[in-house]
This record gives sequence, C-alpha cells and structure tokens, in this order.
Amino acid sequence: MPAFTTTRDDHLIAWLTALAVCIHIVESVLPSPLPGIKPGLANVVTIAVLVRYGWRMAAWVTLLRVLVGSLLLGSFLSPTFILSLSGALCGIVALGAARALSPCLPGAELSALGYSMLAALAHMAGQFFVAYALFIPHPALLHLLPVLMTAALLFGLVSGRVAQALLDRVT
Amino acid sequence: MTFALNRADSVILIATLALLAFLYIRFWGDATQGEQARILVGGKEFSVVSLYKDQRLRIPGTLGVSEIEIRAGKIRFIDSPCHGKQCIHTGWLTLGGEVAACLPNRITVQVLGREPRFDAINF
Repeated sequence: MPAFTTTRDDHLIAWLTALAVCIHIVESVLPSPLPGIKPGLANVVTIAVLVRYGWRMAAWVTLLRVLVGSLLLGSFLSPTFILSLSGALCGIVALGAARALSPCLPGAELSALGYSMLAALAHMAGQFFVAYALFIPHPALLHLLPVLMTAALLFGLVSGRVAQALLDRVT
Repeated sequence: MTFALNRADSVILIATLALLAFLYIRFWGDATQGEQARILVGGKEFSVVSLYKDQRLRIPGTLGVSEIEIRAGKIRFIDSPCHGKQCIHTGWLTLGGEVAACLPNRITVQVLGREPRFDAINF
C-alpha cells in the first residue's frame, strides 16, 4: 500500500463534503414546484465553509459534493450532472471574485447572507445559460428566467440565513 | 427569523432586485392567451399545432416517445420516458411564451403568443 499523508485540511474537506452530500441527497427526494427550482440547502455548507475556512476549502467541498452526489444518485455525466456542475462552478467563481474584490471596496465585507445570495444567483444563471446553450437553444426558455432568478434570490437568502445561524453556533 | 444585512449585502440585494425587475419586464412583457404551440425536438422545429383542435400527439424524442395532450386551448405533457417527469409536472400551458420541456428527451413545447411587432429598430 502506498503511504498517503493527509493533512488536517483534507480531513476537514472530507467531513464537510460528506455533510454536504447528505443534504444534497435528502434534498433530491423533495418534490420541486418547477423544473430547475430547488432550495439548494447543500450550499449552506459551501457558505459556512467559505466564511470559516476560506475559498479554497469551499471550492473543494462544493465540487466534491457535486461529484459524489451524482455518483450516489446515478446522475453522473447526465444532463442533470452537467447542469449541477456548471451551476456549482459559477457559484464558486462568483464567490471567489467577491472574496478577491472585497478588499478593494469600501465598507464591510459580505456576510454569509450576501455570499449566499450571490452564489445562488450565479449558480442559477450559470445553470440556465448552460441549459440554454447545450440542451434547449430556444428563446422561449428565457421566459422562465425571471421566475428562476426570483427563486434563486429567495432560496439564497434562506440558505444564507441558515449558514449564518450555523456559524453563530460553531464560533 | 431576522435577516441582518450589512451594507455590502444590501448592495447585492438591491442590484439583484433591479436585475429581477429588468428580467420580468424584458421577458414577461406580453402574456396573452396563446393560440398555437410550437413543438421542438432536439432544438429543431417538429411542428406547430393549434391549441383549439383537441388531440393527443406522440412525439419521438431522443429517449423514446413523449405524449402530449391538447384540450380547449391548453397543452400539456401526459407521458415522457424521462426520469424526473418534470415536463409532466409543469402541467397545462396556456399563455403565450409558456414553456414545458423534457430535457432528457430533448422535447420542448412552447405556446406562441402575440408576435412582437419588431425584431429590432435601427435609426
């Protein structure tokens, strides 16, 4: 057996990913009112990790969650997976950009709420445009965009609030 | 439950609300009762059907045959060989611009509304 050395960060990433995967899977069972809309509660973990451990860990946890979640749900490499991955990537990129830009801006840094809104909106937008570009390149799909983005904002706020409550308890 | 937004959060929220207002005006400007529906398979037009001729259609998609029902000015998916059945859960469509899609089977149903008068205006 080759000897692997794992760092404390690796263990943390694994634990937190496991937690996120659980939420992801439980949530996948819930019925959805409209295609493309779901609460995205697994993102609570992303946001909490971002605020507490930084962007690198949050990116790991999120991308691993999408990968492992899809393997467990059997959607790996399916359209669902591609949408999920593109959403996650956009969310992570948006969070990274917000983090990188925050020192340049006056005023406070975003709180969990702000990060969560931003990530949810970026996730939805990214997912939407990938769906549009790859699966249904038709202008009619754009009619869904306002509703989807509204849902993203609301769920982003809720997840952000949950992440904040979580952070209040662990710190 | 209280939402304590700091200044940076509020900026994001306000920007988002402005974006949403824009999206609603841009994409929901004209919602009138549709008269026809366009059915697309794999991004290509399959047929345009009247919503006032009651019928059931069997549309061949990538995975198999999806069944679509038209009744009294409304259209819906009633069967599709996909996993999530989200196309079916979308329910009846009736207003111009409304869409139901079966992503896995690559079938989209779009109710056609009033055509926009201009595609673009140049000066």
